Amino acid sequence: MIRRLGERIIFIFYTLTLLGLLGGAGIYFVFSRDLPQLPDSLENINLSLPTEIYSADGERIKVRGQRYPVSLEDISPNFLKAIMAVEDSNFYEHSGLDHLALVRALYTNVSQRQIRQGGSTITQQLSKNLFFSFERNWVRKIKELLVALQLEATFSKEQILEAYCNQIYFGSGAYGIEEAAQVYFHKRAKKLTLLQAALLAGLPNSPNNANPFNNYERSTRRAEYVLERMVKEQFLSQEKKEEALDSLLELASPKENDDPNLYFVNFVIDRLEQNYGKEFVRFGGIKVFTTLDTRLQRSAQKAARSHLKTLERKIKPRNVNIPLQAALVAIENQSGAVRVMLGGGSYSHSQFNRAISDNRPSGSSFKPFVYLTAMEKLGYTPATTLRDEPILVDIPGTEPWEPKNFSDEYAGDIILKKAMMRSANSVSVKLIQEVTPRRVIKTARLFGITSQLGNHLSLALGTSGVSPLELASAYSMIANLGVYNKPYFIQRIEDFEGNPIYENFYHGIQRFPQKSIYPLLDMMRGVVDGGTGNIVRRMGFKHPAAGKTGTTNNSKDAWFNGFTKDFSVSVWVGYDDNEPMIVRSGRGLTGGGAAAPIWVLFMKKVLQGKNRVKFPVPEGIKFEKVDARSGTLPDEQSVETMNVALKEEVIIPPRVLELEKTQLGQASVNSTTTSELVDVVSNP
Amino acid sequence: MKFPRIKGPRGVALIFLAFFGFFFLEFYGKIFERGVGNYLKWQNSERPQLGRIWERDRQEILAQSKIQSIRLGLDSLQEATDAIGSFKTMLEGLEPAFPLVLSRQKFLDLYYDFPGQWSTIVISPFELISIDSQKNWTRVLLKRFGQWITIGFLDPKNIPVHEIFLETDALEEVLATRTVKRGRLEESGFEEDRVYSAAVFLPVLRTLDPKTQSAVFPDPRWFLAKGYSLTRVGVRESASESDFPRHLIFGIEYDADYHTGVLLIPVPLEIANNMLSQIERTDSELPGEEFTTMTSPSGDNP
Repeated sequence: MIRRLGERIIFIFYTLTLLGLLGGAGIYFVFSRDLPQLPDSLENINLSLPTEIYSADGERIKVRGQRYPVSLEDISPNFLKAIMAVEDSNFYEHSGLDHLALVRALYTNVSQRQIRQGGSTITQQLSKNLFFSFERNWVRKIKELLVALQLEATFSKEQILEAYCNQIYFGSGAYGIEEAAQVYFHKRAKKLTLLQAALLAGLPNSPNNANPFNNYERSTRRAEYVLERMVKEQFLSQEKKEEALDSLLELASPKENDDPNLYFVNFVIDRLEQNYGKEFVRFGGIKVFTTLDTRLQRSAQKAARSHLKTLERKIKPRNVNIPLQAALVAIENQSGAVRVMLGGGSYSHSQFNRAISDNRPSGSSFKPFVYLTAMEKLGYTPATTLRDEPILVDIPGTEPWEPKNFSDEYAGDIILKKAMMRSANSVSVKLIQEVTPRRVIKTARLFGITSQLGNHLSLALGTSGVSPLELASAYSMIANLGVYNKPYFIQRIEDFEGNPIYENFYHGIQRFPQKSIYPLLDMMRGVVDGGTGNIVRRMGFKHPAAGKTGTTNNSKDAWFNGFTKDFSVSVWVGYDDNEPMIVRSGRGLTGGGAAAPIWVLFMKKVLQGKNRVKFPVPEGIKFEKVDARSGTLPDEQSVETMNVALKEEVIIPPRVLELEKTQLGQASVNSTTTSELVDVVSNP
Repeated sequence: MKFPRIKGPRGVALIFLAFFGFFFLEFYGKIFERGVGNYLKWQNSERPQLGRIWERDRQEILAQSKIQSIRLGLDSLQEATDAIGSFKTMLEGLEPAFPLVLSRQKFLDLYYDFPGQWSTIVISPFELISIDSQKNWTRVLLKRFGQWITIGFLDPKNIPVHEIFLETDALEEVLATRTVKRGRLEESGFEEDRVYSAAVFLPVLRTLDPKTQSAVFPDPRWFLAKGYSLTRVGVRESASESDFPRHLIFGIEYDADYHTGVLLIPVPLEIANNMLSQIERTDSELPGEEFTTMTSPSGDNP
């Protein structure tokens, strides 16, 4: 009886052993085909050439892919003991597989019917980090184990532990113990105290949740647990543990992720990745020299934040907690170099780059393109008179469109310069009706605007979305008197040996004659000196400047785009959810009130200590004083006069000639070229 | 079902001993893990390079090869730029989509190396000196756009400190067509009876006024600086009748250290004939050589 029982037990034993061996061999042959090859050495696995990004003022503003591998001697023994206590207490005993830990994990996972515990040794974790995805499944676990066994057979325990310490992620962007010690404690890994070492050793298991910057309580509880494990594993005495818990952690303050340069930097990285491929940027070890001026970028952020704060106080409280946002782009006119790109009020709160990605209607900021088209195509001048009045535009198939002026006030007869200064919507609509939207779009394209523009009359009021970058660049062309410089962000790229692999060369194209652009520039100077952008002067900005405000329906967007001789700057203010900006009095914010002050605060910093530089007057331009209502030469009937810049061939007629012209049934265009004037005179 | 029979307690003991031995070795010697690990190590090189670190290696190699290819392109461009032999070739070789960047030194070398005054007519040396006085001219960028060539003098930040616009028609001017060819006069189409020795040609050249001299002959420095020794001078009609109607081609042959070359200069017919008549007077004293005045290939020439 006993013999038969023994025989049965042995049979079962044989069978199980055989099945185990066959199963093991089967698993091996199935998975060994997909097993990765191991490198010859673990020393260089963390090293790749970092990519560095520099500003125009020489500051290294971003480094990608830099690692700081250290040898075991340069790591605090406190940390080595702590990490072993909490991750793999039998590290020096096993050969890649810890049976007890595995059985414990198996029991937990089978009983809970999901993978809750890994039971992984340090070698298995290294194997996972080096070769496998972070997906948890049995197949991956088996492969990970097989590679861990090979790691153990190939490398010494010290090599494995060193590679592990240099490889693991500690949260807050820190890979490896040296970087973690720097990020969390601003010290070298070999100088870590016991408590600091325990805290760091607790992080790899849960780098985000147990991160002391995000959850201090949880991270210290985890550190206590690590110390407890150290005592249990006899790496530490109870007294030392108590001492450590009584010591100061000396946690560094979290690295401020509110670097305003990141809007620019990330845009540059995206562009490089698009043009050259991701690997080029991540592993190329290149040095990118950008056009960014970090000093000005900080000034832009400061200006935006300061004014947004003021506006937030004035604006009616909203139910949703969405902050008011601003975007600013500054371009150096001479070269087209983008010196500043601020994509929002705070990078840490929102990484969305409104300077390039958020195309919002530009409102009246678009009018200069309408005016220029009219002057070029219809022969209009800044002294041409149109009637500012309520208008009704018939649109086939829909209700008539009734564009209104911002304050619903109309000036009657008005010269174009005055209309631009007042930002009269009705005049702008009349102009686009005459020139057609298609022609205005063509003009805008010549100014470098690439966004989709609607082929309809409301384009005159800036209903199509454009980005601050596009507007800054387009206005820069006005400042350059018709020379278009494509905006650029990268000056030079070098490989890791310092050999240049890319250089930007200036490529200015004269797209409009200077004397066609200057009258427009002069009209825009009027906007700043006495028009809707006059706040610029009221805030004490004394440098010669020109610009245009823009406010969209219900004050959803506020713009100010302006330029001096050297810089063109576009500022946008608005809500991300496209809600109106209404102040407590019930009035909506305008480009002049919301965006222009940011422009002024910023430009004051930019031009601090610099001489006032006038816009150069090109050849073929003359200045005339005209009646602001009739556009004729001023006389005793003139109520308001205005200086206008005109092409030399334009002749401003006296009022009497204008009357004759009206009698002749000519259009209200009163400034004529010489030949036209001769006609009028010779045919009374 | 029949189970295997155990033959006595010795068999049982042996089996238990074997298992005990295995567990003992596994427990103290990790025989299983080491066995598998070493087996995998043994066949490591046969396995594919899969996984994150290998992928990163591949990406690194890809990135470096991209950089290498860009560098090669730039290097070959640089070599091509370095190989430009004349001011005229530099401008003629410009392609609209491919701007050319030259160092200040290379540009000046080509500028002053032109065998004639054409380069100084295109850009005045005084203009160059004026640009140079700003002390921030490091390179020259040449671009072609339609019928226009832009010569931009760049500062270290690649911003042009001065720009000169040149019409491509200027490349076709007679003054621009002085070219250099390898070989002897005969290989360039000069007939033997219209070839004269330098000793005959130079005295006649010296009698001409400076303006005519410069129309016929480059600044002697051009030969002296390069170590070229003048040997002979030939005269022939222009190869293409439409090219230079009222011009003859002077070929000035010289010996360099390792080669013989000919500098081809279109010379207005009147000047050419005047010179040839003087050479005739000189030659007529020499027996066996005769001279005939040449006429322009175009029919309307008197």
